Amino acid sequence: MSDFIQDLRDLHTLVVHQRDRSADDLVQQIHRIGCNYENAWPIPDTLQEKFDLVFIDVTDQPASRIKTFLNSSGGKPPTVIAVIGYENPSTLETIFEIGAHSLLTKPVRAAGVLGSMLMARRYWAEQLRFQKEQTKLRDRLENMQKINDAKFILMRHHGIDELEAYAVIRKQAMAKRTTTFEIAQSIINADGILRNFGDH
Amino acid sequence: MSNQESWRVGVLFSTSGVTSIIEQSQLNGTLLAIDEINAAGGVRGRPIEPICYNPDSVVARYGELAEKLIVEDRITALFGCYMSSSRKEVLPVVERRNVLFFYPTLYEGFEYSPNMIYGGATPNQNSVPLANYLMNTFGKRIFFVGSDYIYPRESNRVMRNVLRQGGGEVVGERFYPFDTDMAGFADVAREIVELQPDAIFSTVVGQMCIDFYRAYHAAGGDGRTCPIASLTTNEAEIAAIGPEAAVGHITAAPYFRAINSPANRKFLKAYGQKFGSVRDVTSCGEAAYCQMHMFATALEEVGEMDTERLREALLGATFDAPQGHIKIDPDNNHTYLQSRIARVNEQGEFIIENKVRRAIKPDPYLVYPGIHDWSLRTQKVAQQTV
Repeated sequence: MSDFIQDLRDLHTLVVHQRDRSADDLVQQIHRIGCNYENAWPIPDTLQEKFDLVFIDVTDQPASRIKTFLNSSGGKPPTVIAVIGYENPSTLETIFEIGAHSLLTKPVRAAGVLGSMLMARRYWAEQLRFQKEQTKLRDRLENMQKINDAKFILMRHHGIDELEAYAVIRKQAMAKRTTTFEIAQSIINADGILRNFGDH
Repeated sequence: MSNQESWRVGVLFSTSGVTSIIEQSQLNGTLLAIDEINAAGGVRGRPIEPICYNPDSVVARYGELAEKLIVEDRITALFGCYMSSSRKEVLPVVERRNVLFFYPTLYEGFEYSPNMIYGGATPNQNSVPLANYLMNTFGKRIFFVGSDYIYPRESNRVMRNVLRQGGGEVVGERFYPFDTDMAGFADVAREIVELQPDAIFSTVVGQMCIDFYRAYHAAGGDGRTCPIASLTTNEAEIAAIGPEAAVGHITAAPYFRAINSPANRKFLKAYGQKFGSVRDVTSCGEAAYCQMHMFATALEEVGEMDTERLREALLGATFDAPQGHIKIDPDNNHTYLQSRIARVNEQGEFIIENKVRRAIKPDPYLVYPGIHDWSLRTQKVAQQTV
């Protein structure tokens, strides 16, 4: 069984919705599912960091206002479920714009809330994972580029081959207890300084 | 009193087909409660009049007949259904037409509708006590056999999880279609006898459960050493299986005929008088009986067949049921129920061995029941000497 289902009851949820019939039906179902929840309206200035999942009524709210609120916690971005009253293209556009992970349509029915929460959590977690992976890959690519540049500098100055140049970088990194990236960066910096030095 | 003045309610239980044994007992419970209510002067002086149809255990018929009851017979309160699949047929109909629907059957949970009042157990009310009892009494290697539909699959998921928490192990899992007969269960019965698990957890329901217990017995299985444990097998089915093949097997349920209490003695006496015998009294029949009484009490208070007002009166309502004190949970429309574990003796009678101290709160959306939850612990029931 997936962790999303297992961990469901640990979620802190916030329902940003006017306290009307739809909101009542929604919070009662969240309570039945067994999550704790708080209700807020109108949209607060800042989002408390403890909330993992936010239901937000996007009807007649400017997307920029919602986005500012959702990004205001300072921590990990929350999972977002948009609650919509109209299924028209401009409302749907808002959902895309605020980056909602799932949606509920009004009037909210009990059936569908659980499924929507799970789909949103899964999509949200996947998005975070992809972002993290992407950052990692970008960093690694940058590292490789740096090390290559440093290798070429060493090869040019000392007439050694690529393998030997890499061995030098590695040895230096071990001796100075730092990363090959740091050594490569130092070599590139030094090369730049020395080269500019010659220009004077 | 003329028919114009009666309160008409719809009743949908199958008296033929694969789930007819259990649904007949639910129908009897419903009709008995109506008799009692009417004999005591009805509701606000008017009798309750049941309009009963037989869906013949055919899933699609439940939805069609619910529609007919509402449109042609003008009912606004409906009592019925055993299998989850039939409830799912009726649910959209009652929601669309805003009819109150009483479902007196245990089921797999994960549902709520404002139009439903759930009278049977959810998994947290019976699976956890049963898993604890099995592991403490027999051992930790359990074999699963079920009918092939939603309830057994979800029950098994819950049971597997509870067993794992207690260090137990599922040594096999099989599902069988509804037309499986005794010969169809022969292979799995043989497999179980060879594998020698500590107990079998069965979610085989209806007519086919009789065939499964008999096949197990025919293959040399003995309930006294390796019992079949079930949440559904009831007095009526045990009677059909016969004492020889039924002895030693175990059922967890809120109600058993063997409960020795004034409320249950009164219930059984009335049942026997109306139907000639108490042979087919089951826990689902008792649930149906309770739901009709609770409906009548709410109707007495409200005085009109208005779905919203009846629901408001029902949420939080209590009843001194044959099983003990019960209450409709205003959080989720399910019912606080008792939980008992009983074992079949040599005479083919259930003897209650364990029970929880007080009614358990229904938790239909519980994904992982905790095995160590103190409220789900059962204690031994002292046997009465007759």
